[in-house]
Amino acid sequence: MINFSNVSLIYPTSTKTILEDLSFSIMEGELVLIIGSTGTGKSSLLKLINGLVPHHTGGILAGDITVDGISTKLVRPGELSHLVGIVGQNPSQGFVTDTVEEELAFGMEAQNLAPDLMRKRVEEILDLMALAHLRDRNISTLSGGEQQRVAIGSALVMHPKILVLDEPTSALDPIAAEEVLSILHRLVHDLSLTVIIAEHRLERVIGFADRIIHISGDGNAKIDTPEVILKDSAIAPPIVHLARALGLSEVGLSVRDVRRASEKFRNVGEDLERAPIESGEVIVSASDLTLKYGSSVALKSLNLSIHAGEIVALMGRNGAGKSSLLTTLVGLQKPSTGNSTICNTPSMLLKGKVRREIVGFIPQEPSDLLYGQSVLGECQQADKDNQVPSGTTLALLQRIVPSVDEQTHPRDLSEGQRLALALSVVLSAQPQVLILDEPTRGLDYQSKALLITLLQNFSRELGRSVLIATHDVELVAELADRVIFLSEGEIVADGPTLDILLSSPAFAPQVSKVMSPRRWLTVSDVVAAMENEK
Amino acid sequence: MLIVGAVLATNNAWVAGLAIAVAAISVLKFAEKAPWSKSFWFSLKLGAFILVIRTFVGVLIGVPIPGTALFSVPILPLPNWIAGIRIGGVVTQERLLSSIHEGLIIITVIAMFGAAVSLTSPHKLLRITPVVIYEFGVATVIATSALPQLVLSASRIRRARALRGDEKPSWRSIAIPLLEDSLSRSLELAAAMDSRGYGISRKRSRYRPIPWQILDSFVVASGLISIALALAVTQ
Repeated sequence: MINFSNVSLIYPTSTKTILEDLSFSIMEGELVLIIGSTGTGKSSLLKLINGLVPHHTGGILAGDITVDGISTKLVRPGELSHLVGIVGQNPSQGFVTDTVEEELAFGMEAQNLAPDLMRKRVEEILDLMALAHLRDRNISTLSGGEQQRVAIGSALVMHPKILVLDEPTSALDPIAAEEVLSILHRLVHDLSLTVIIAEHRLERVIGFADRIIHISGDGNAKIDTPEVILKDSAIAPPIVHLARALGLSEVGLSVRDVRRASEKFRNVGEDLERAPIESGEVIVSASDLTLKYGSSVALKSLNLSIHAGEIVALMGRNGAGKSSLLTTLVGLQKPSTGNSTICNTPSMLLKGKVRREIVGFIPQEPSDLLYGQSVLGECQQADKDNQVPSGTTLALLQRIVPSVDEQTHPRDLSEGQRLALALSVVLSAQPQVLILDEPTRGLDYQSKALLITLLQNFSRELGRSVLIATHDVELVAELADRVIFLSEGEIVADGPTLDILLSSPAFAPQVSKVMSPRRWLTVSDVVAAMENEK
Repeated sequence: MLIVGAVLATNNAWVAGLAIAVAAISVLKFAEKAPWSKSFWFSLKLGAFILVIRTFVGVLIGVPIPGTALFSVPILPLPNWIAGIRIGGVVTQERLLSSIHEGLIIITVIAMFGAAVSLTSPHKLLRITPVVIYEFGVATVIATSALPQLVLSASRIRRARALRGDEKPSWRSIAIPLLEDSLSRSLELAAAMDSRGYGISRKRSRYRPIPWQILDSFVVASGLISIALALAVTQ
């Protein structure tokens, strides 16, 4: 179906080869997963399939790529639109029309299909993607998960033979991600659709993959079955790390497989009891907080307090009001009723230097915080703002990511490096509270581990509080002391991470699914329990 | 666009002011609460900025118009070879008025564009672009979606800047990330349209056609009449 022969790719502005002499072929009806650290060219590889690279982006392409027998060099991306459907990293940036129905019809209109055929196909897709009740809604008012489904639907409506997805689950909560993936799985099996997915969160997709392409970053790539690739890859889901740590002979890819192989480990060891954090003074507090956007209610008389030294995770499905709560707490949004304070200062009164010293907020797009022309300039600005000795911020940054070049423009950094830079800028003011909105979107495992260490140090060494809104269950398991669960603007659960995560299977991390009913959350929990046993 | 034509044809400040007022009323009354509906107010601000600069420069540089002297600015000595251009000198009332007048016409053109973007989503505009002018169509996407994107990105960046304790960020520090951001978004949209086959088929079907109504003919006709009137009056 897709054939790459000796493909090399290089962008004219850089000296680094993105892909080098890559050859592989993908059969019809395969679900192929592309893995690799950030900035290794996963997105470029995806865009090569329908010719967006190099037709739209420029770049020098050597070798030949054929899709269903058509060479992508010879045709424009649009001429493959009936063959290849592509869904980008940020679907919201690729929407052409305003309502769901029009968006689904757009591609077919461009192909000049007959109106009655279009009507039939639109209905089909509305049912398939469970979008029927949203058909007249304005797309910009939909939640992230719904937008993702619209984007996939508008690719599928063309009846393509190949579907290409760039991080389809990164913006989704665990349940919405599961839904999207099971739809894809069904299409692969029922219609023999060929699906190519690039994804960082392997724990979500690994069970569906037939083969994996592992891009190593030096231009080389390996393609093989998941078992072979994951046997010795550094990029692996927690379940594989668990199998390695327990010394299992086979690397299982599903919870079921590993559970069967690890039965004897479930009968030994002590359950995890995380010592309750002594609650210090209240740092963040909100009372009776209500926020309305027109007629819709984002937050319903919410009460909340966060203590010094706590790491709190804020979870809940897409559109539950997590971001609204965060922006209200930091005083970017005025609540309709109620009030919130940080360090006894009302949120709305936070300004200037006082704000920097009280609260550090990293929004969903960390790049919003950055405006310098280089990494160095950004760091110097932060030093000046916070009146700390010059070089402090840069030193902080180099502790997190040692390899970063200080003359680079912040736009050219990788996702993880940019987050690190924004974090260093914010942390250089030594705020009392650090608040992060979806920090792990687009981060690979390596950068995620780095983030976890950094936040833990910040909280433990300095006794400061951290509040994170996230969908990433594994991150919460590794990092948080306490989880607050939001639904429709209300707190539905609030308690220690262990209790909250283990109480619902959808939000349980992989390790605890394997080890259930034992109370362990992470690989290191299990390893510690086993070592105590010896 | 027709109203812009009429304003340009009359070259009359009163007509221009009236056009802006009408646009403001229709934006207030009909604009939906969508991200792009702020575009009109943004365009007005931009226009005011241009007016100030334009008047300032217009008064200081150029050919003097005789009339009632308001005040005088010292003349900057210039070499002989650019005779005819003068910097500084006596500022007359006529000169000030003519500068403001020209500025106002420019504002009207910008404000009309802003109002058009405010009132209809750029996406809708795009859907009715004829496919025959495909390459031009993609350029139109970038142009029409750039202004609303600019407004959206500006408020996002300003918010983020407030988070760094910078309540009144300078224009310069916002402008660069702003331009980069909105341009990259527009390019992404163009790429998405390209990969969905926009412009491949010369003919294009309509899923639910927007029918041409009598009212539409009326609107176009009234626009044409106003141009004709404007031309007739100025002749």
